[in-house]
Amino acid sequence: MVDLIDVQAVSSERLTNIHLSIEEGTIVNLIGPSGGGKSSLLMLLNRLEDPLEGEILYKGEPITNIELGKLRRMIGLVQQTAALFEGTVEDNLKYGPSLTGAWGSAMGRDLLDQVSLPQTYLQKYVDELSGGEKQRVAFARALANKPRILLLDEVTSALDVRNVECIEQRLYELIESKKVEGMFMVTHDISQAKRMGSHTVFMSEGKIVEQGETKEILTHPETTRLKQFLKE
Amino acid sequence: MAPEISNASMFLLIFFVLIPISLSYIYALGLSRSIAWSSLRGVVQLVLIGYLLTYLFSLPPVIGISIMLMVMVTVATFHASKKGSGFPYVRSIIFVVIAGVELLVLAMWLGFDMIEFAPDQVIPMSGMVIGNSMVAIGLALERMKHEFNEGKDRIIAALSLGASPKQASQLLIRKIVKAAMIPNVDGLKTIGLVQLPGMMTGLILGGVPPVEAIRYQIVISLSIFTSVSLSAMFITVIFYRFYFNDRWQLVKRKETQES
Repeated sequence: MVDLIDVQAVSSERLTNIHLSIEEGTIVNLIGPSGGGKSSLLMLLNRLEDPLEGEILYKGEPITNIELGKLRRMIGLVQQTAALFEGTVEDNLKYGPSLTGAWGSAMGRDLLDQVSLPQTYLQKYVDELSGGEKQRVAFARALANKPRILLLDEVTSALDVRNVECIEQRLYELIESKKVEGMFMVTHDISQAKRMGSHTVFMSEGKIVEQGETKEILTHPETTRLKQFLKE
Repeated sequence: MAPEISNASMFLLIFFVLIPISLSYIYALGLSRSIAWSSLRGVVQLVLIGYLLTYLFSLPPVIGISIMLMVMVTVATFHASKKGSGFPYVRSIIFVVIAGVELLVLAMWLGFDMIEFAPDQVIPMSGMVIGNSMVAIGLALERMKHEFNEGKDRIIAALSLGASPKQASQLLIRKIVKAAMIPNVDGLKTIGLVQLPGMMTGLILGGVPPVEAIRYQIVISLSIFTSVSLSAMFITVIFYRFYFNDRWQLVKRKETQES
């Protein structure tokens, strides 16, 4: 069976010799200290940066063969900072689909529903939103493009417990319904990593130090660095 | 006619400079040397330009005007390009933009018979257009560095949603051009109400009736407005491309870290 994403010996300015492959229907946790290369890896996956060496394949096809706009709509990124555009929530939600004329007025209400925000928020200006609300709008904005793969960079860091549960539930649904084929999820919350990803990758200093099944590597870490990280 | 300002009166102007120097000394502003140097430099520059203009006005119009316009555009280019250090071809691009805008405005003036092709008309009016273009370009470049630095995450968000560099930059281009034009827009709103503009003041002092003087002022004010907006727009549309590569990726520019 062809892997969904296959990262083959990739090196970049901040990453060294990354090997990683995931199958369809997998959520991958990316854990590790700040500056370890997790966000840089996400940037490579939708070509916001390109590797200096190595290659990334999507279902066996080099991602460099896929038209850029299409690739980035297909592999959606949600950044650590919400980075919302000026204007209303609706302006943000329709940004991606409008680029290809795919925006329909009913989409806004559906997207807000998916992140448990009231529909009255559509016309709200982004300056009026709390940190957690901004993060949820940024998540909904990425969903608006109907991505096949999601790259999530600490998307629940500003949310309260109830909203974290809601987003996690939504992520599960997206995977189970096969609307999304796979996810890479950067998190600093080890308990979230245990709940979410079946596969966990521990990165430090731009390298993959350890990777494997989440249960296995989080309960029986092999390397000193991961043991140390889990203690902290 | 206004009375001539004698050399003795000019010399007495030194008292005008002594006031800010004294204030700087009393309040320990540390500006005394700077005020003295700027005043001296300004006076020397103006005296030299007075003699230079007298010489240029005596030459055939094509030669006198060409020399002075070339000097003005070159000096403006060097000054404005300081704000764009780090960008490739910055001087060449700014030179072409300032010269192009000046030629367009000059063509309009001459084409619509607003002024004559005479050094004493073309040079002072062109100076105002070129000077304001230079300031607008400097503002646009400064603002661009600021916006691309501060708005980096938003640009990345737009690119990650499938936007091309042009589409992603639209978020910032409006703000950059607006910032470069605001001083002129504000100036036009209060023109004549708060202070009489320089050209009109000069003409009135020279004995031209106010109703006649405003005609020139309207021409120059609207010309400046046009040149400022065109300069800011051209510079922004040309330079934003240097923040991206052909793979629709934001490139790391050293100067954005510094701003």
